Amino acid sequence: MPSSALELRNVSKVFKKDRDEVRAVDSVNLTVEQGEMVTFLGPSGCGKTTTLRMIAGFELPTGGTITIQGRDMTNTPVNKREIGFVFQNYALFPHMTVFNNVAYGLKSRGEKDAAIKPKVLAALALVGLKNTENRYPSQLSGGEQQRVALARVIVMEPTLLLMDEPLSNLDAKLRIHMRTEIRRIQKKLGITCLYVTHDQAEALTMADRIVVMNKGKVEQVGSPFEIYSNPQSLFVADFIGQANIIKLTVEAVVGNDIRALLPGGRTFTARGLRPEGKGADIYKVGGKAALIARPESLTVLSADDPNGNAPATVVSEVFVGSHIEYEVELEDHSVLKAFTPFQAGMRVFGEDEKVSIWIDPSNVLFLPESST
Amino acid sequence: MSDFTKKKTERTLMIKKDPVLFSVLVAVWLSFAIFIFLPLVKLLLVTFFVDGKLSFANLSNILGRPYNVRALYGSLILATAVSFAGTFLGYMFALAVTRTSLPKPLKWLLSAVTILPLISPPFTSSISLTLALGPNGMLLKAFGIENLNIYGFLGTWISETLTYFPVAFMVITAILSTMTANLDDAALSLGASTRRMFRTITIPLSYPGIGNSFLLLFGASLADFATPLILGGHTFPVLPTEAYLLITGMFDIKGGSTLSFLLLVPALVVFLIQRALIGKKSYVSVTGKNGARSDFARLPKELSVIITIVCTFVVALILYLYFIILWGSLVKVWSVNNSFTLDHYRYVFAHGKKAITDTLTIALYSTVLGSLLAVVIGYVSQRKKFFGQRFFEFSSMLNYALPGTVVGIAYIIAFNERPILLTGTMSILVAAYVFRYYATGIRSVIASLQQIDPALEEASLSLGAGSVRTFTHVTIPLIIPAVLAGMRYIFIHCMTAISATIFLVSVRWTLLTTRILESMTELQFSQASAFSIVLIIIVFAADALMLFLLRLSTSKFNRPQETSYAIVSA
Amino acid sequence: MKKLRIAGLMLLCLLVVSQLFAAGAQEAVATEEVPKGPISVYSIMPEKYATKIFAAFTADTGIKVNFVRLSSGEALARLIAEKNNPQVDALWGGPADTYEAGIKEGIFEVYVPKQADKVPANFRSKDGYWTGIGIIPLTFLSNAKFLKEKGLNPPTSWNDLLNPAYKGTLQMADARTSGTATERIYSLVKIFGEDGAFAYQKQLHQNIQLYTKGGAGGAMPIATGQAASGVFYIVDALDIQQQGYDLVISYPVEGVTYGVEASGIIKGTKNLAAAKVLMDWASSSRLGEVMVAEMINYIPTRPDVKVTNPALDMSKVKLIEADTAWKGEKRAAYVQRFIDDVIQQ
Repeated sequence: MPSSALELRNVSKVFKKDRDEVRAVDSVNLTVEQGEMVTFLGPSGCGKTTTLRMIAGFELPTGGTITIQGRDMTNTPVNKREIGFVFQNYALFPHMTVFNNVAYGLKSRGEKDAAIKPKVLAALALVGLKNTENRYPSQLSGGEQQRVALARVIVMEPTLLLMDEPLSNLDAKLRIHMRTEIRRIQKKLGITCLYVTHDQAEALTMADRIVVMNKGKVEQVGSPFEIYSNPQSLFVADFIGQANIIKLTVEAVVGNDIRALLPGGRTFTARGLRPEGKGADIYKVGGKAALIARPESLTVLSADDPNGNAPATVVSEVFVGSHIEYEVELEDHSVLKAFTPFQAGMRVFGEDEKVSIWIDPSNVLFLPESST
Repeated sequence: MSDFTKKKTERTLMIKKDPVLFSVLVAVWLSFAIFIFLPLVKLLLVTFFVDGKLSFANLSNILGRPYNVRALYGSLILATAVSFAGTFLGYMFALAVTRTSLPKPLKWLLSAVTILPLISPPFTSSISLTLALGPNGMLLKAFGIENLNIYGFLGTWISETLTYFPVAFMVITAILSTMTANLDDAALSLGASTRRMFRTITIPLSYPGIGNSFLLLFGASLADFATPLILGGHTFPVLPTEAYLLITGMFDIKGGSTLSFLLLVPALVVFLIQRALIGKKSYVSVTGKNGARSDFARLPKELSVIITIVCTFVVALILYLYFIILWGSLVKVWSVNNSFTLDHYRYVFAHGKKAITDTLTIALYSTVLGSLLAVVIGYVSQRKKFFGQRFFEFSSMLNYALPGTVVGIAYIIAFNERPILLTGTMSILVAAYVFRYYATGIRSVIASLQQIDPALEEASLSLGAGSVRTFTHVTIPLIIPAVLAGMRYIFIHCMTAISATIFLVSVRWTLLTTRILESMTELQFSQASAFSIVLIIIVFAADALMLFLLRLSTSKFNRPQETSYAIVSA
Repeated sequence: MKKLRIAGLMLLCLLVVSQLFAAGAQEAVATEEVPKGPISVYSIMPEKYATKIFAAFTADTGIKVNFVRLSSGEALARLIAEKNNPQVDALWGGPADTYEAGIKEGIFEVYVPKQADKVPANFRSKDGYWTGIGIIPLTFLSNAKFLKEKGLNPPTSWNDLLNPAYKGTLQMADARTSGTATERIYSLVKIFGEDGAFAYQKQLHQNIQLYTKGGAGGAMPIATGQAASGVFYIVDALDIQQQGYDLVISYPVEGVTYGVEASGIIKGTKNLAAAKVLMDWASSSRLGEVMVAEMINYIPTRPDVKVTNPALDMSKVKLIEADTAWKGEKRAAYVQRFIDDVIQQ
């Protein structure tokens, strides 16, 4: 059986800070397959960078095992792991030319000069940096430095490519361009890549799978689509994209479906998600459940429209071209976002106008209230 | 798990995880044991054991005499005053060189002049200071000042400040020139005035330099016996001088070592304060990311004026003091027969050749060994984590914190018997220099590492380079300017030191500084001046060589930094 | 293994250092058992004199002398520290009481030179530990210009120095470091009695500008006019005067004690035979003749050597006898009293 590219088993990291123990990473489990692009997403301080640094070998885990291509590397020094690491600030050697920066790893490996040169030039060509090899990093722009950092790593043909917020120092346009560049190179080389970011757009556009982390724990692992459409926790739902979280009282549990009472008196039925490891009785009649509804799943209708689920008042209305972004207030004073696709001739509601909201039951779900 | 077994597993783990670090630590600890702890322990035995029994008789004896208590206060006041004044002057000069638009030749002059007090033994400038500012002094006469008493605190303070502020200048310049000018831009663009920028950006970022400078100056002043010996007079006793007088004058090794034992306490306190203030904060400003570089922002106007006035005054005073020495070396009889002669230089080369070659040989060995050790110790204490790290750092600095007189006597006591029989050899001089003056190198390396992003080293490791290759190919090139700055200082110290080595010179190995002191006490002012001038020329030449090396090491990258490094070493 | 390169480097350093030790140890052995070979000497006598004297000695005997100049305190401290591993064969010059102190520490070898009987008994050790090589009485040294400006005569009494005209202008040696200073105290004790001597010094302290560390330290400042007057050994006073400075040498009518410059062999020397040759030469009339010829201003211990410099003619100077053993005995107490009563006031 071919082993997976990377396996983390119960990996933890405890830091001691002024005698207090801080669990920066708490029992993380993860399997990454060959050639996969996995992004670690989470707010700052969630442990994603620490996890990456443990995979790289810069930090040693307090507990658990790290297996790379079937070999236990938990305590292997970083330079024996054959990983490539791209730093947030690139960490280019300021005293070496671009060529020597890229050749550095090959030289460390003891390769012959004759073999090094074509590889370095090829790597530089791959990242789109021909004819820069004699320059020093200080003579390059930020984007170029980023490419050198990438070339320096891929020239080594690492088994794992680890990137720690590599684009956070670039301007927005360049960042979007580099996303596709990195994805292109990663796919072209078929390289397994772990990518830390706090930017959800970056994660959604680049990843095969996303690992959402919070407070040292993995909240959810899944494809961008799964993460977006089936968040397993309120945290994920809230962190990825925009989501309306409406706390409702459960009226009935029918199989997988939950029926709850909306503000304004109507009931509403949608699928209720049961996060892994939680009991079947997680939803109780008379208890609370959280309805997760993306703004796209809410449509604003006129107050008297029979399809409306709940009466509301428009708080604000912004036209952004492709759709209209509404903020509406329900009767319980909760404020929701609703994005309605724009069609010529459609009715647009103004501020303070009484409206009703239609919730698309196929695109929303319930989560237990306590799943933060 | 008990505490003991816990430690044990940590240690066995270290052998496995980082064998290089382990063997380096073993080797360094071994050298510490021989050259730092053995002499100290032997000295403490002499101090605290009377007839084979632990006794505080020596201590209570010494502290029972009010004059010694005065000396303790004197030492503390002097060291504090010297570190404040010296760091202030050093900062002024460093700003002048790194942050003003003075023309280059002027900056070069500033740097060159600051070297003069460094590269001559302190007592040389003390002598010319008495000629200038002493009773009937030439400067006093010129300005019509009467009754200025140079002997005592004032003279000692002025002389030590002039002697040691170049240390502050070097350390602070190194820090100021490695800062990124972008921060200045950022501050200004955030609406700060140049004054506010200076107060909130430049000064806080140079804290490591200020701290190091303060520590170095405090230690240097605390240990200096030569300057107070000449200028202190009887009204201003300090501990190292009293210890020296006790040992050399009254043959009282016990009393002398007990006195100097008292010096350990303040030295320790300053060291701990410095660590507490500076140690925790991280000042990474050399990262692998190279944004566009711009020039440092101008200083606030009033500050530029103050800097110009202070620097001009100090430079003029130093030049004047050294002119006296040059003059004295070139006239037949000082102040009586002012006709020009080279006789004194003939004397130096006829009778001092051995001293010159001995001094050079010893200084070269010490500089090379000392800076090697400094790089290793500085690196492991800044970048590695290991058991007993704090104690390791502390130990490495111990000989530097101890007054030289004590180190000298301790070495004589410790290395005069088998199995380590070193008295009368070159090795004892080299060992004394290495384990005393490499401290500058260590501080310089640490200060430099504090400003280099560890990501650069991690990048190297992640590219498959071992810790050794990372060290030699990434760390060393980046800290080379700091290493060379440290080397310069070690070399200069070896050429000019006197306090420890006055006890260690032998019939076979003699030193220029002891010859100069001899000439002074033998009333051969002209010969002493000629010796001093020769010494200054040698050190200047060696310094030029190191400047050349420095240029080689930094010329290709970080061009904006090249000039500033060059100035540090000019 | 590549990994161990740093460790290797460290070992190399240790090796280099140990090589240095080895070289040093060899050096130490190299001078052994050569009867005529070069001898090593700590010289308390100033280098400029020692150079000339040893040159004459080498010319006479063929034995080369390596020496290093030290102050008396340092020399003694070192000889005591090096007791188990003597680095030198002889101690040359320096006051006899330093030698008396050293005898107690057991650092000297007994040797009575061949012509010792020609040296008066008070100029050599009773037990043969040291032999005198020169006599140096104390004297007053004053700046001629200063005296003229203030309308003063050269001081001819110890009490002249108490004149307020000298306020803040006297430089003389510090008893903690200088044999000259202790000699001064011995003179004063002999003249005024112990309490009187310290009462005198307390008063004199008002006129002191600086206590210098070396015995001759004040001579240059007096020569250049920075200070007015001071008390010195004649050898230092004459030396600076001979350089051409306008200075006046005078003696007090109450008299002065004098120092005996001595020499002795270090116990455990590896060159005993050669060291004995040096002692024999030092007690012959040759040494005195060399000193007279080279203008080295010690009064020879051999009465049969005639001095030519009138300042060294002691016939009109009242010399006070002070037993060396007494000096050695009192020294520490007097220095302590000097610190407690005089300096600290």
